[in-house]
Amino acid sequence: MSEIALTIDRARVRHHGNLLVDVADVDVAPGRPLTIIGESGSGKSLLAHAAMGTVPADLEVTGALRLGARSFDLSDLRGRRSLWGRELALLPQEPAAALDPTMRVRSQVAEGVPGFRWRDRGAGARADAALGRLGLSGAGRAFPHQLSGGMAQRVAFAATTIGGARVLIVDEPTKGLDPVALDQLADLLLEHCADGGALLTITHDLRLARRLGGDVLVMREATIVERGAVADVLGAPTHDYTRRLVAAEPSRWQLPWMRASTPEPAGPPLVTATGLAKAYGDQPLFEDLSLTIRAGERWAVSGPSGVGKTTLGNVLVGLVRPDRGLVDHAPALRDGRIQKLYQDPASSFPPRVSLGTALADVLGRHHVPPERLRSLLAAVGLTEDLLERRPGQVSGGELQRLAIIRAMLPGPALVVADEATSRLDLVTQETTTDCLMTGLADRDCALLWVTHDRDLADAVADQLLDLGLRGAAPRPPAPRRRSSCPAGAG
Amino acid sequence: MVQRLPGDVAYRIAAGRYGYDLVDADAAAGVREELGLDRPAWQQLLGWLGDLGRLDLGRSLVTHQPVLSEVGYFLIGTLQLAAVALLLAVVIGCPLGTAAALRPGGVVDRLTDLWVALVRALPAFLLGLILIVVLSVHLRLLPSAGHGGSTTIVLPALTLALGLSGLIARVARDAVVETRQSDHVRFAHTKGLTDRLVLLRHVARNAAAVLVPYLGVQAVVLVEGVVVVEALFSWQGLGHALVHAVFWRDIPVLQATALVLALLVVAVNTLVDLTVLWLDPRPRRQEAMS
Amino acid sequence: MTTLSEPMRATARPARRSRASVLTRRVSTVLLGGLVLFAVVGPLLLADPAAQTLDRYLEAPSLAEPLGRDEYGRSVLSRLAHATRLSLVLATLCVATALVVGTAAGILAAWRGTWVDTILRSVSEVFVAMPALLVVLLVAATADGGVWALYVGIALAQWVEYFRVVRARAAVVLASPAVEAARLLDLGWRHVVRRHLWPDLRPLLTTLASLGMVTSILAMSTLGFVKVGLEPPRAELGLMVTESFPYYDVAPWLSLAPVTVLFLLTVCFLGLRRTETA
Repeated sequence: MSEIALTIDRARVRHHGNLLVDVADVDVAPGRPLTIIGESGSGKSLLAHAAMGTVPADLEVTGALRLGARSFDLSDLRGRRSLWGRELALLPQEPAAALDPTMRVRSQVAEGVPGFRWRDRGAGARADAALGRLGLSGAGRAFPHQLSGGMAQRVAFAATTIGGARVLIVDEPTKGLDPVALDQLADLLLEHCADGGALLTITHDLRLARRLGGDVLVMREATIVERGAVADVLGAPTHDYTRRLVAAEPSRWQLPWMRASTPEPAGPPLVTATGLAKAYGDQPLFEDLSLTIRAGERWAVSGPSGVGKTTLGNVLVGLVRPDRGLVDHAPALRDGRIQKLYQDPASSFPPRVSLGTALADVLGRHHVPPERLRSLLAAVGLTEDLLERRPGQVSGGELQRLAIIRAMLPGPALVVADEATSRLDLVTQETTTDCLMTGLADRDCALLWVTHDRDLADAVADQLLDLGLRGAAPRPPAPRRRSSCPAGAG
Repeated sequence: MVQRLPGDVAYRIAAGRYGYDLVDADAAAGVREELGLDRPAWQQLLGWLGDLGRLDLGRSLVTHQPVLSEVGYFLIGTLQLAAVALLLAVVIGCPLGTAAALRPGGVVDRLTDLWVALVRALPAFLLGLILIVVLSVHLRLLPSAGHGGSTTIVLPALTLALGLSGLIARVARDAVVETRQSDHVRFAHTKGLTDRLVLLRHVARNAAAVLVPYLGVQAVVLVEGVVVVEALFSWQGLGHALVHAVFWRDIPVLQATALVLALLVVAVNTLVDLTVLWLDPRPRRQEAMS
Repeated sequence: MTTLSEPMRATARPARRSRASVLTRRVSTVLLGGLVLFAVVGPLLLADPAAQTLDRYLEAPSLAEPLGRDEYGRSVLSRLAHATRLSLVLATLCVATALVVGTAAGILAAWRGTWVDTILRSVSEVFVAMPALLVVLLVAATADGGVWALYVGIALAQWVEYFRVVRARAAVVLASPAVEAARLLDLGWRHVVRRHLWPDLRPLLTTLASLGMVTSILAMSTLGFVKVGLEPPRAELGLMVTESFPYYDVAPWLSLAPVTVLFLLTVCFLGLRRTETA
């Protein structure tokens, strides 16, 4: 297995003179997965698309690609089209969007068969076989909207690989997948490798990188900063950036506001919920659920996607009415003392006015002196000129910190964070979480964090509500893992 | 609605029968009594609804023909015209829009833009007049007005189609451009499909799912166009009948044509909904409510 | 997250397009200003549009009468000025009425929901099934070519569009996380209207209003053309086209003058639109 399946040689991608990718050489051997990790904007996705030949036309690409004995010029985008699906395949991001909503799943897989024609019986049979191997034998006649995220991912995998390509490029496959679906996908990818295929995976998810094994490349600001076997690089990183990246995993956090043990319930109750039930259509999300959130407590609601975490959060805040049961808010929560942080902070600000204008309304309504805003901005490391911009002109991490400041202005007693950091890079996630938790700890404010990430839930919360378990009941989380625990326990 | 006209309905109708010069209060009163226009409005409305239930739409006040058969005759004329116009518009608009979309910002795209602006700025009657002047008066290719023979339909249909085709081209262009940028079309390419297969299997259907509802909206515009174009070319259709009925206050015909036109719009919209359901099986999203 | 789509949006073409659209808007504004000036000042300075001089019928354009005289020997320029003024004033009134009524009803329906929404929506459905021209035609039929009938008819036909667009858009805005956050922050309805609804609806309404001007002007002239709108001898653009068409061979300026003004008016209002959508 020593021969090289795919080599990317001196790849450079420029946009109006800005260097977006500058990578000297990348080799992918059959049977040994190669994973590129790094934060968004590091150029890792562009590198994969440069190899595939799917970069937008206004980007300038140079370099070469070798497939076995053949060599291709990276700047020639059309030259590799004949390889697509047969020798070089790309598993797209967000399979739910990558499948044609108007076509049945079976046809979408069948058209990937080389030499496909209209109403091709043979291709249809092969598609059925491929779907059957992935445990989707009944799904051929379904439309994409009838599939779960994990099923759509497997359909996309079948459509990608049915052409028989040996080199498989996978672009950010973890978006929107819960841990179970992620495990299934990792198994499929490893199987492809075990059959002698070459695998190049782009991800920001360190857990997927560990799961796949093989080699890893760490990219930052267009270049590769570290490379080597996964266990070496993630176990004992040498580059500063890799070290920060690895330390930013929630399971390794060591931050001042973290509590070693769950405090005794002492404060007065803020939210008292009894016998809550809510259904989505005819599917029950939760039934007969009761809990009490007291002042200063830290709660996390966890579970796989589609289980009703967000709905529960909204029911507790009072934004959604439960089908049955009662939610009682203490008087301490009136007048804006209950605040919410959103997954996409940009959507939580009025999009067409400046951030300063939006915040000025909050200051005015709650009689907060402008100096308070200034000191809060300084405390989270934001400059005041940010306030002149609109939400769309600020990065996600900065905007979420601004949203945290906004939530702090009315002096809240309870903050609900709905997947508030799940769209952020690991490092940004750590700083943003630190920001929020420091603010909460300062004023003994209660927290309800809704997240699919168990490690994060364990790090921030004292009480965990796992909706993934039937008959969910609140319980304290497992003993907190500190960074001394072996990596990859998740 | 029309029943609530000022009291000169009877005058108008009488004028329609006897000519303006001969109408006096007596003639008007005669008409009023004959038609039951002196009854309270709600009685007239109930009476009309009852007649409608029996498919009895009464007789035209001007021609004295049964309204049902008259409107039926006009409906066929309108359907012929609308069908030919729609077909022409789709045949002109869709390929133009697709060609523009394949090279956004290219020559075809710019020309289509210009074409859409031009057509939007010209009211149907002006477009019709221009066509008459150019094709009929100057070039003497086609008859300018009338009903009957296969050539008489060309000018009115073309007038309607030109107006519509610009809009169709524009919407088709935007739909195709948007679809071509979607993730699933990119995925179809990387699966190894040729450009032609991607266009036929993925782009066409998804773009059509956008275009067809738009055509439904345009049905209303088409009906408006029909009224004007029929009046302009004296094409024997509902629009023609409607304008005459309004002018002569021929209430039964007026009610019936307005009703049939409204039903036509409803029928087209139903057809459109069914087509979209077939094109795009995704469940319709509930409208977001606060 | 991939950075793929971002460079794609930052291509050079949109910049060129937006520069072109700024130019279009500027030219439209200047042209429209000229037309408005003509409509305001013209009727004050020029001769009586109804004054007939039958012995000078179909007189060709000259220095004293730049657009010549019509079949009754009336000054075409003067008639044109009056017709333009009529079109602009009536269209503005119609659009303003439809905009205010439709927007208010749309926001009300989206905000209150429940039965208010149901009632307003069913009223609007009736108008949607009826082509606008039909509504105008029916109303115009009630009042013998009166200006009021035209005003009521056109406004009645147009409010639905504002209602539907505003209702749909306002429902999206009001259901957005941004408004939810504003509610949790207890910022009040004034904040929601000023910072969320109005900034979002303003560009939509500008576009709708300029399109509405075009539709109104065209509807008026179309009704005049099929002889159910305003009645002679009033100077109206559509009527002028109808009346002059029989003399197209001998006096083409008669037809061309109102057609040109009509075309310029619609092109200008189309050019004023913010977005490029048709």
